[in-house]
Amino acid sequence: MTQGNQGPAQAGLPDSKDLQEWAWQATHGQEWRLAAQRWALVREFYPDESASWIQASIAHRKLEEYDLAEALISEAVERFPQNSNTLRQYAELEIERGKFDRALELVEQAREKFSDDPDVIWSIANVHKKADQCSRAEQENLLGQEVFPENARLAVQYAEIAMQQKDWQTALERWQQVRERFPKHASGFARAAEAAEKLGNEPLSRQLKLAQEYGNAWLISLQEEGEGESVHNISPPQRRNWKTFVDLVWTKARLNLKSEANQNHLRYFWWILDPLLYMAVFYIVFGVLMERGGPGFIAYLLTGLVPFQWFAKTVQQTSGSIVGGKGLMHKVRISPLFFPLVGIVQNTGKQTLVFLMLGLFLVFYGLPPTVHWLAVVPVIAVQLLLMVVISCFLAMLVPFVRDISNLIPTGIQFLLFTSGIFYTVDRIPSEWHTLFFSNPMANILHQYRLVLVENQWPDWSGLGWVFLGCMIGLVIVLALYRRLEPIFPRVVIE
Amino acid sequence: MMASQQQIPAHGEVIISLKDVGVRYKRRGGLFRKPEYFQALENVSFDICRGDTLGIVGRNGAGKSTLLRTIAGIIQPDSGEVVNFGVTVSLLALQAGFDPELPGTDNAIISGMLMGYTRRQVESRMSDITEFSELGDFIYQPVKTYSSGMRSRLGFAVSMFMTPGVLLLDEILSVGDKEFRKKAESEMVKKFHSDQTIVLVSHSEGQIKKLCNKVIEL
Repeated sequence: MTQGNQGPAQAGLPDSKDLQEWAWQATHGQEWRLAAQRWALVREFYPDESASWIQASIAHRKLEEYDLAEALISEAVERFPQNSNTLRQYAELEIERGKFDRALELVEQAREKFSDDPDVIWSIANVHKKADQCSRAEQENLLGQEVFPENARLAVQYAEIAMQQKDWQTALERWQQVRERFPKHASGFARAAEAAEKLGNEPLSRQLKLAQEYGNAWLISLQEEGEGESVHNISPPQRRNWKTFVDLVWTKARLNLKSEANQNHLRYFWWILDPLLYMAVFYIVFGVLMERGGPGFIAYLLTGLVPFQWFAKTVQQTSGSIVGGKGLMHKVRISPLFFPLVGIVQNTGKQTLVFLMLGLFLVFYGLPPTVHWLAVVPVIAVQLLLMVVISCFLAMLVPFVRDISNLIPTGIQFLLFTSGIFYTVDRIPSEWHTLFFSNPMANILHQYRLVLVENQWPDWSGLGWVFLGCMIGLVIVLALYRRLEPIFPRVVIE
Repeated sequence: MMASQQQIPAHGEVIISLKDVGVRYKRRGGLFRKPEYFQALENVSFDICRGDTLGIVGRNGAGKSTLLRTIAGIIQPDSGEVVNFGVTVSLLALQAGFDPELPGTDNAIISGMLMGYTRRQVESRMSDITEFSELGDFIYQPVKTYSSGMRSRLGFAVSMFMTPGVLLLDEILSVGDKEFRKKAESEMVKKFHSDQTIVLVSHSEGQIKKLCNKVIEL
C-alpha cells in the first residue's frame, strides 16, 4: 500500500480492493451510469489506481459522453505511462468517434513503447478491422500470432476478421482452430454457431451451440460418428417378425424360469422335488392309507392328475397375464399374445421334468414302457394346443371383464371333478359318455391313460376331434387378438 | 386444449403426420353404469419431419405422455389419425422388463429384445453395454444387488444403442448419479444430431429450448 491510500482507510472507508470490486460489479453488469459513478468514487479516494481512470473513461464512452471520456483517458495516459491499456482505450474511444487515423496514431505509439505486449498487437489489428481494412488487420494479427502463439484473444480476433468479411466458411475454420487451441473459450462455439447459421447449416449451428456445454471432444466424436456409420448404434427391425417374436417368448420364458430358480436355495432341484412330493402325497393318501380304487389305481390317478395340474397351473397363471403386463405394454410396442404365451412356455418347461418323473414312477410301479408310449407325444401336443387356446382366450377376456378372474379357480375345480381324474370312465352311465368326452380335458386325460397305463394306441378319432376343435378355437382367438390388439393398452388401465 | 405450434424452419420431408388426434380414457362406468370419459388429447395436429428435434411442453396431465404413446403406436387415437410414412418409432423405455433376480447380462438381452432388437443384435453389443454402464464384473451379478444408480446406468446403456427412425423420449435425461448423468446427457444429445428424428417431452423449458428446433405446446 502506498502512502496515499492509507488516509482514507484510516478514516473508516473501505479499502481500495473492496471499493474497486464494487465498481467492477457495475462494469461487469454493464450498468454504465452506475459504473461511472462508482469509479468516480474510487478515483476520489484512490487516484493512484489506474483502473479508476480507465474504467471510468470506458463507462462514459459507453454512455456516449465522449468528451468526459477523453478527458479521463488522456489524464490516465499522462499519469500511467507504464500502462499500455491507457493508450489502447484511448484508441477505442477514437474508433468509436470514427477517428481511425487518430486511433492508429495512438496504437502505433503504444507499439513503440510496449513492443512485447500482445494486447497492443490486438488493438492495432482492431483499429484496422474497425476501419474496414481487413487485409491489413489480418496481416497485423498474423504477425502477432507468430510472436504470441498462446494468446487466445489474437486467435479469436483472427476468426472475427473473417466474420466481418462475411467469409463464413473461413470463419468456421478459424473458429475450429480456436476451439482446438483454447477449448475453454466460449466464443469458439457461440460465434461459430452464428457463422454456421449464416451459411444456412442449421444442424451444425445447433451442434456448435450444444458443444459449448459438452466440450470440443464431444463435438469431434459427434462429427466423426456422422461421417461413418456409428459403431455403437444398431437399428431395430421395422416390426417384429414371427421368428423374433418366438425367440422373444422363448427367451423370456427361459429367463423367468432361471429367475424363479434363483429365488430358492435348492434352485432347479425344486422342479423335481415339487412333483415328487405332490405324487407322494397322493400315493400315501390313496394308495397306502385308503387303499381304495383297487390295484393300479395310483397309476391311473397320477396319469390323470399330472397332466391336469399342468393345465390348471398354466390357465391359472396366464389368465391375468395381460393385465399384469400393462406396465410393459405402455413402454414398448408388443403383441399382447406375448404375455400368455410366455406363461405357457414357462410352465411347459417345468412340466417336461414332471412327465419324466411320472414315467419313472410308472416304471417302478410295474408298468414298463412299451412302444405305445411314443403316442404320448401327440397327446401332449394336443393338450398344449388346448392350453394355448384357453389361456389366450381367458387372458384376453380378463382385461375387459375383470370379474372373470374370480370364476377361474372355480372353473378349474369344476373341470378337476368332471374330467375323470378320481374315477374311471366306466363308472359313468354310457348314455352320458358323449357329454363326458365333449369336455376336451376329459378326452385328453383318457388318451394319457390309454397310452401310459393300458399300453394301447390312443383313440385317434377322439383326439382328432379335440385337435380340430382346438384349431378352430385358435383361429378365432388369433383373429380376436388381431382385432383387439390396439385397444388392450387402453383397456388394461381403465 | 389446442395445440399451438411455433414453427421454425425445418429440414427434411414429413415422416409422421398427426391429424386432429383425440384420445380419451374411460374414467368409470361399465356394464351397468353410463361410462364417463376423460379427454386426454383433443384436436392435436402437427407434422414430424426427418431430422426434427421436436419438443413437447405442457403442464402436468396435459397429455404429453399420452401423445408420445399415440405417436409410438402403442395406443390408437379415438378420433383423427396418426399417419406414419414408413418409419420405425420407439419410445425410449429405460429398464423395460427388468427382472431383479437375473444378472445384468440377461436383463440387457431381454430388455433389448422387448425394445425390438433381435437377440443377436443385443448380444453383439454386450461389451459396449458393459463398458458404457461402467458396471464391470457387476454385470454378471443379479440386478437386485445393484444400487439404483447402477440399475439406471444399465437401463440407459441398453437404450443407448437404439436408433429407430423416430426416437421418443419421456423425461429421461435424468438418470444415475451426477457424473453418469453428464455422460448420459452428452451421449443422448449426440443422438440429437446426426439425422436422428426425436420427439422429446420435458418439464424443463430450458432443456427444450436448448435442444429442439420445434416446440409443441399442449
